[in-house]
Amino acid sequence: MEPLTLKRQGTPGYWISGVLCSSLLAIPSAAQAHGAHIQSRNTPAIEIQAHYDSGQPMAEAQVQVFAPNDLQTPLLRGLTDGEGRFLFVPDQPGDWEISVRQAGHGDIAVVPVTLEGTVTPDYNNSGELTPVQRGVVAAAVIWGFVGTALFFRRGKP
Amino acid sequence: MRTIRTIRSLSKLILSLAIPSMLWACTPTSTPVSSESSDPTAPTPETTATDAVGELEIRANGEDFVRQGFETRDGWQINFDQLYVTLAAVTAYQSDPPFDAEAGGLPIAQTTVSLEDPVTVDLAAGEATADPILVGTVTAPAGRYNALSWKMVPATADPATGQTLWMQGTATKDDRRIDFIIKLNPTLGFVCGDYVGDDRKGFLDADGTADLEATFHFDHLFGDGEAPPEDEINTGALGFDPLAAIAEGNTLDLDQAGLEAQLSPADYDRLMGILPSLGHVGEGHCEETELARS
Repeated sequence: MEPLTLKRQGTPGYWISGVLCSSLLAIPSAAQAHGAHIQSRNTPAIEIQAHYDSGQPMAEAQVQVFAPNDLQTPLLRGLTDGEGRFLFVPDQPGDWEISVRQAGHGDIAVVPVTLEGTVTPDYNNSGELTPVQRGVVAAAVIWGFVGTALFFRRGKP
Repeated sequence: MRTIRTIRSLSKLILSLAIPSMLWACTPTSTPVSSESSDPTAPTPETTATDAVGELEIRANGEDFVRQGFETRDGWQINFDQLYVTLAAVTAYQSDPPFDAEAGGLPIAQTTVSLEDPVTVDLAAGEATADPILVGTVTAPAGRYNALSWKMVPATADPATGQTLWMQGTATKDDRRIDFIIKLNPTLGFVCGDYVGDDRKGFLDADGTADLEATFHFDHLFGDGEAPPEDEINTGALGFDPLAAIAEGNTLDLDQAGLEAQLSPADYDRLMGILPSLGHVGEGHCEETELARS
C-alpha cells in the first residue's frame, strides 16, 4: 500500500501550477489585441504526498482527482512531482477522491473538504483513532459497563 | 420504595445513554461485516431505502502476465496454459467509511452481497486480450460497491481438486524448456478497498450492470524481467531458477509438499511468503487475513 499523506496549505501568490493556470488566466475587457495578462491570488489548496512502503516517494506517478459530484470521471489528471506531491484546488465541499498509480501499484485517498476548501479539521488519514475518539470510546465502554450492572442489580417488583 | 424507583430511573437513563454511545464509539474500527462471522450464503440484508437493484459482476484477472506470458526476473519466459484459482466467500461491500486495507480490519458496510458457492476459474483462459474471467453475477442493491473480499481455497472438484492454486505452463530460457505444473493448497483470504485502475468500478445503478475485480499479481511471484533488477518487484520475487533447479529433466510437477521437500528452506519460505501479496483490486493492495496470520 502506498499511503497518501495530506497537507493543508495556503498557496503563495507566486505559485502557479497546471491545475491553477486555467483559473488564473484573465483578459480584461478593455485589453488590447494580443495582450495577455496573468493575475495571481491566494487560494486554499490541498496537497497530497504519495510514497511506497519503503518510504520512497512515488515520483512522476499518475494522479486522478475525482470531485464529490462525479466520482467516476476524473476532474483532474496529472503527475506527482519528484517528492510524490500533487496539489489541487477543490471547488466544492464533500469527499474528494484522489488516486495515485505507478508501475502496477496504487492507492486511493478519500479527502473530506469543507465549504472553505480545506480538509476537514478532524480528518485523519492514518486509519487510527484520534485522541478525542479514543477518549470517547473509553467513556462509552465505561458507561456501558456501569449501565449494564445497574440494570441487572435493580430490584424486582 | 422511592430509593428503588430512583435507582431504576437512573439505570434506564444510563442505559439509554450508554448503548447509543457504545454503538457510535465503536464505528471507527469495528467490523460488523466479517468474512469469519457472517455467512456468505446468507440472503443479502435489507439495505437501501428503495428496492432498486442491478447486476453486479465479480471478475478475476491475472492480467497480461498470465494471458500473454512474461519474462521472469531471472530470464525465463513463462507462458501459462492453465492457471486455476478457486475463490470462495466472495463478498462486495458498500463500505462507509471507505475501507483502507492498510489500516486493517474489515469494511463497515450496511450493504453486502456475496456469491454463494466457491468457483474455480482459469485465469489463463481466452485469448491474449481476453476480458477478465467472470466469476459470478449477483443481483445487488444499487449503490457504490467500494470494497471486496474473497478467500482462495482448495478446489473440491476437477480440474484442480485439492489445490488452491494450479499453475501449468512452460518456462523457456536459452535452449531449455521446462513443462511445469505447480500446485499449492493453502487457504488465503483477501480484504480489499476500492478498485484502483484506469477505470472506476463498483458503481451500480438501478437496472444497470457494474463489476468488481479480484486481481492477481503473479509478477510478485516470478519477478518482472522488464523492471530493473533492483526494483522491489524483483528483489522480493522467487523467480524461476529455484524451480528449474528441482525439475526432473524438462518436467516439473510438484505439489506443496513436494516443493517444501525439494526447495531450499529459504526458497520455500520465500514462495509461501509471497502468496499473501498476490491478491489486489486492480493496482490497489489488499490485506491478507488467513495465511499471513497462521
